[in-house]
Amino acid sequence: MDFDLTEEQNLTRQAVRDFAENEIAPIAHELDEKEEFSADLTRRMAELGLLGCFVPEKYGGSNMGYISYIIAVEELARIDGSQAATIAAGNSLGIGPIYYFGSEKQKKEWLPRLCAGEILAGFGLTEPEAGSDAGSSKTRAERKGHNWIINGSKIFITNSACSMTGVVVVQAVTGAQADGKPEISCIIVPANASGFTAKAMKGKMMWRASNTGELFFDNCTVPAGNLLGKQGDGFHQMLSTLDGGRLSIAAMGLGGAQGAFDVALEYANKRIQFGRPISSFQVNAFKLADMAIEIELARNLLYKACWLREKGRTFTKEAAMAKLYCSEVMHRCVHHAVQLHGGYGLMKDFRVERLYRDQRLLEIGEGTSEIQRIVIARHIGVAGRAI
Amino acid sequence: MNMIVCCKQVLDPEAAPSTFKLDAANNRMVQPPEIKPVVNPYDEQAVEAALRIKDKDKAANKITIISLGNNLARDVVKKPLSMGADELILLEDPAFEGGDSFAVASALAAAIKKVGQFDLIFCGRQESEWDDGQVGSGLAELLGIPSVTIAKKAEVMDGGKVKVERIVADGYQVLEVSTPALITVSNELGEARYATLKGIMAASKKQPVVWKPADIGMDAGKVGAAARKSKIVKLFQPVKEGKCDIVSADSPAEAASLLAQKLRENKVI
Repeated sequence: MDFDLTEEQNLTRQAVRDFAENEIAPIAHELDEKEEFSADLTRRMAELGLLGCFVPEKYGGSNMGYISYIIAVEELARIDGSQAATIAAGNSLGIGPIYYFGSEKQKKEWLPRLCAGEILAGFGLTEPEAGSDAGSSKTRAERKGHNWIINGSKIFITNSACSMTGVVVVQAVTGAQADGKPEISCIIVPANASGFTAKAMKGKMMWRASNTGELFFDNCTVPAGNLLGKQGDGFHQMLSTLDGGRLSIAAMGLGGAQGAFDVALEYANKRIQFGRPISSFQVNAFKLADMAIEIELARNLLYKACWLREKGRTFTKEAAMAKLYCSEVMHRCVHHAVQLHGGYGLMKDFRVERLYRDQRLLEIGEGTSEIQRIVIARHIGVAGRAI
Repeated sequence: MNMIVCCKQVLDPEAAPSTFKLDAANNRMVQPPEIKPVVNPYDEQAVEAALRIKDKDKAANKITIISLGNNLARDVVKKPLSMGADELILLEDPAFEGGDSFAVASALAAAIKKVGQFDLIFCGRQESEWDDGQVGSGLAELLGIPSVTIAKKAEVMDGGKVKVERIVADGYQVLEVSTPALITVSNELGEARYATLKGIMAASKKQPVVWKPADIGMDAGKVGAAARKSKIVKLFQPVKEGKCDIVSADSPAEAASLLAQKLRENKVI
């Protein structure tokens, strides 16, 4: 058994940590305050190679492997959830479906620009009335001649409504299966397609410097060739995309938990009350010890899930477990970290305040904690089909 | 242009002071196990100086990194490769340990002579452990080539000479130097670039060349600590003491007089 990371995984961690500490940390607070997506910062993260981490070099990626990608997201999230979200969604949800399911032509058309950070892609799954019940999508696509005509709307779509958005992959009902269930397919919609509009969503509690959009399709017309993979494969493509997406959300939980631990330890060692650093009080030392234990467990679980993926083995259960556990570990860590900061932890001047808010999405996005428990239950021999 | 950059693996100067430990019996600093070593930050800027020249013409310029030490961490010493350097030579052997500036410069000079062809050598202005700042100039002396220290910019001019902007107390000098030459680089050069993920992947495919003392024509018994010209008499962490006496008196004049008296007692004036 080998727990050592490889040389390139260690170098990746250091490179991304340096970038996050030097380039993101100084502006994260301001971007969060202004609820501002930074195209400049996103392009610089792309220059570093953070988009297309798992894509081969022939499409412009850096071909780092999944563990390195997850380490990169973890290091970004340690400093700032918003930038980690841009990269995690940019890879797992934006680049992933086109890379894994696209035709050679589609890959050549989109991947080099996506990997270079010229454009971003969104993955349109969630609808106002189809959240956890993703199968109940109302957005429809009809084949007319050489085109798909799409009607409907999507909501909460990361990277879908900013100046860099170049394309979205949309899940739509394209007919009915033999058993009467809807046939679902994914279609590539360029940002400039006729009948397509994207509106940035404002007033978020967390990830305020990442872009979230609401998408509207009003007789949106794209060529028939924009179908991703085969007609009717959309549901399977979505589940597979979410498996990968869950690993990156888990990485955000792990990185955020580590960030919360780091600021909490630093603060608790410096803060003097009753003549001693507050970390020396057992009640606080135990909080820090609990955080360290859980972070260690979360890291081992997540890296194992990534390792399974790299080996080409089934990882759906482990991805769900890692996503659930890492996001809940971060929940407990930010809770302790704010508590250790006392009143200062409630102030926006302290990073822990942003970490506290940014955590909250992780138990909701890309499958709620409840949905993760259903996925896990289905994989551990629970009688019947757990729901 | 063939460029060589000398890079040292050092204790992370950004690490918390509480992690700093001395082995007083042997007059050595100890690498704390929980803190990862780093490439000396000035040396990273030396790499950056070379990369800026390479950026102009990637095919015509080559950068070779040389690092000296023992048990060098591969994911540390390979960082310059992931920034864009071409080759890495490690002078790695237990015998190289414990050298002073002279010992290090001598070993580097022998290695560079073995490399043979070079036009420019870049070093950081000093390293962050001892801050001696002598290896660069010493190396140039041993190789018999000109050196320019504390550079903030180095540009290759038409005709092959190098224009160097050298920091001085109230500004900078502009110098021209013919090659081969050695340049030590200061932080005024600007931030070194980040290692890119593609660079890291490229670096992972490159294996460093490892040379022992014998490979560079040196006797293992005459390098490192054995080659020192200087001797550390005592290495210690000074105890930081802050004492403050407040001189109080009824009038400013009286206070001034009392203050002067105290300063005289303490032999300050």
